[in-house]
Amino acid sequence: MAGQGIERREVLRILAISSVAAQFPGFKRWTFACGHVQADSAQIKNAAYAPQFFTPAEYYTMERLTEMIIPSDGGAGAREAGVSEFVDFMVRSDPSLQYKFRFGLGWLDAHSERLHSKTFVALGPNEQNEILRRLAYKKEFREGEEDGRVFFALVREYTVMGFYTSRIGLEELDYPGLKFYSESPSCPHVNDREHLHLPPPKY
Amino acid sequence: MAKQIYDVVVIGTGAGGGMAIKTLCEAGLKVCALNAGRALNPAKDFRNHRMPYDMKYRAFGDPKKRDQSYGYMDNEYTEGIWEHEITYTTAPGTEWMWPRCFAVGGKTNFWGRSAARMGDIDFQAASLDGFGVDWPVKYAEIAPYYSRVERLIGVAGTVQNRPSNPDGDYLPAMNFRCLDWILQRGAEKVGVPYLPDRVAQLTVNHEGHPACHFCGNCTEGCDTGSFFSTPRYLLPAAEATKNLELRTNALAKNILVHENGRAAGVAYVDRHTKQEAEVYGRAVVVAASCVESARIMLNSKSRHWPMGIANSSGQLGRNLCDHMYGTTAYGYLPQLLGQPSFPDNVSTCEIAWLPRWQNLKNPREEAFIRGYSMYPGGGCQEFPETRGIEGFGSEFKREIKRRYPTPVNLGIQAPSLPSETNFVDIDPEVKDAYGIPAARLHFQWGANELKMWEHAKQVSREILRAAGGEYAGCSDHPEIPGYSLHETGTCRMGDEPKHFVTNRFGQTHDVPNLFVSDASVFLNCTDKTTTLSILAFSMRTSEYIAEEFRRGAWS
Repeated sequence: MAGQGIERREVLRILAISSVAAQFPGFKRWTFACGHVQADSAQIKNAAYAPQFFTPAEYYTMERLTEMIIPSDGGAGAREAGVSEFVDFMVRSDPSLQYKFRFGLGWLDAHSERLHSKTFVALGPNEQNEILRRLAYKKEFREGEEDGRVFFALVREYTVMGFYTSRIGLEELDYPGLKFYSESPSCPHVNDREHLHLPPPKY
Repeated sequence: MAKQIYDVVVIGTGAGGGMAIKTLCEAGLKVCALNAGRALNPAKDFRNHRMPYDMKYRAFGDPKKRDQSYGYMDNEYTEGIWEHEITYTTAPGTEWMWPRCFAVGGKTNFWGRSAARMGDIDFQAASLDGFGVDWPVKYAEIAPYYSRVERLIGVAGTVQNRPSNPDGDYLPAMNFRCLDWILQRGAEKVGVPYLPDRVAQLTVNHEGHPACHFCGNCTEGCDTGSFFSTPRYLLPAAEATKNLELRTNALAKNILVHENGRAAGVAYVDRHTKQEAEVYGRAVVVAASCVESARIMLNSKSRHWPMGIANSSGQLGRNLCDHMYGTTAYGYLPQLLGQPSFPDNVSTCEIAWLPRWQNLKNPREEAFIRGYSMYPGGGCQEFPETRGIEGFGSEFKREIKRRYPTPVNLGIQAPSLPSETNFVDIDPEVKDAYGIPAARLHFQWGANELKMWEHAKQVSREILRAAGGEYAGCSDHPEIPGYSLHETGTCRMGDEPKHFVTNRFGQTHDVPNLFVSDASVFLNCTDKTTTLSILAFSMRTSEYIAEEFRRGAWS
């Protein structure tokens, strides 16, 4: 008990230091999503992001794909979290991904044109949805679309990585780590150790 | 100018070296400690309390360097601290990962903190099952040292009265999380113990060290020093005696030898200047970690010691053992679907363990001898588990959220048995960047540990299902040798100079003023982790050295 106050102050001092942690220039929504700066959201909307790996057309497709994978749902999703910026950065940083993304984006447009005579982003939401469903759900897989499925799995993996490591993604999960707890957190269901009678799911 | 002669030169500042440094300095001896890397500055080097988005690559690390990672402790948060330019070779058929941390304190900066005592079931295992040789010490001899180490470092846990695990002196245990209660019930149905782990993590303030604040991600270093590490718990006391000179970036090369064959000191390379230097001592303690300690001694060839110093037995480098790690089951607990998130990651995953339950009544009741333990993990981690969730869109996002508290896994910690074919020697062809001949590893998992792996996979699946969980799979194969960082052997202790490198006190049979005080002296590994035992044995070795000095052995 004695001395607890001092240590708590020490921990808070450390927390304060880390809140001014590294900032990365060049990213707009990403920076906003991560809460590094007192971002002015209007300013962010106006500032166009210049992709570092993707061509502008590819980047536009990536924005659409990531937004379809983690939609905003009236709240915040991949678009607000700047996930396409993250993916662009990671693909630029990882030569082993570059061909896979470029080839996959090419496949997607060729596939869309074959079906609907338009590139993927030019399609309506229903048509886009239809194409992705066939790549994402086992029941709807089609023969001959293996390359598309591999690409979709890759985009989804990087979308999940980008979203759930952003501030809004971690808030969406209600990430409970990196906090100060005065004692080792204990299961709140002491009378139901088998957890058979929990309150109805919150989510 | 007369050359300076220290009382003791200690190689290494990890658990074994750190304890030797503290004990010897406090005994009034002048110590020069050599450490291969730099001292860390926790405020700068430990990137705790950083969210993934505070890291350039969101904690996934630079993709170009990712395949060099040593595993969970070596990541973007600890970048620049683990060494990645270690030269070593492997014999055909051997895979070996050799994570090296040259920072002052070594791997204690990032260790997993599980801290169970070994007991006679371990020390006298050979008498029980007829395989190998007993340790030269009985539990009763080492128990007081365990108690003193536990009081010094603080170990949270409970008294469990288990035949495989002597109890110690514990701080209040970590509390169980939801997933622990659920898995415990499953384990109970299968007849397997599921208990609070013994973990060197301060649940209350202890000996001037602040209690843990349960932020999690402990294996990235602790900025408040709420778990044992050499720089926080041992070196300050040594420095306070003014008997310590710590030389950093000093990579030990070989032991220097007097004309009479005794140890005279240590030759080392200053990693900044790449110049070789020498430091002299009346006694030398080697604690560079198992493989490196063997390498230094094997590289210490002289007229007296043509096969490496203190190697008249030919046993130096032999009997290398390691813990087999791997995920024996993963899946999820449907009970927790959609429940609010819970801080499951407050101790990385050292809340609970499944201590050895095999071969207790009869040492040969299983298809394998000895036994293994397991550790559970899971719950709300820094990054959600999305394996097995298909689709995209709102439904996908909702399912990730619903599943967030539910993933669980079990991992094995299985000891390899000493084997003729598992050892380290010196590669005759290859030298490191400093011109020092490189270690060459010869190691493969043996039949006994592979049987444990199969056994553990089956039991883990049963536990998960008995707990009402959904079993989703297991690793295809165990982690490669070296991954656990629990190497033992290479300088085993024993009474017979013909068969062992050191005696029961870690003193080499051949060279009375040369000691080994890391896990190299252990006869084999067990189902328990190594750090607590390294500390206890090093304390005992160091007090023996201090007593020898008092006796005037080397003055």
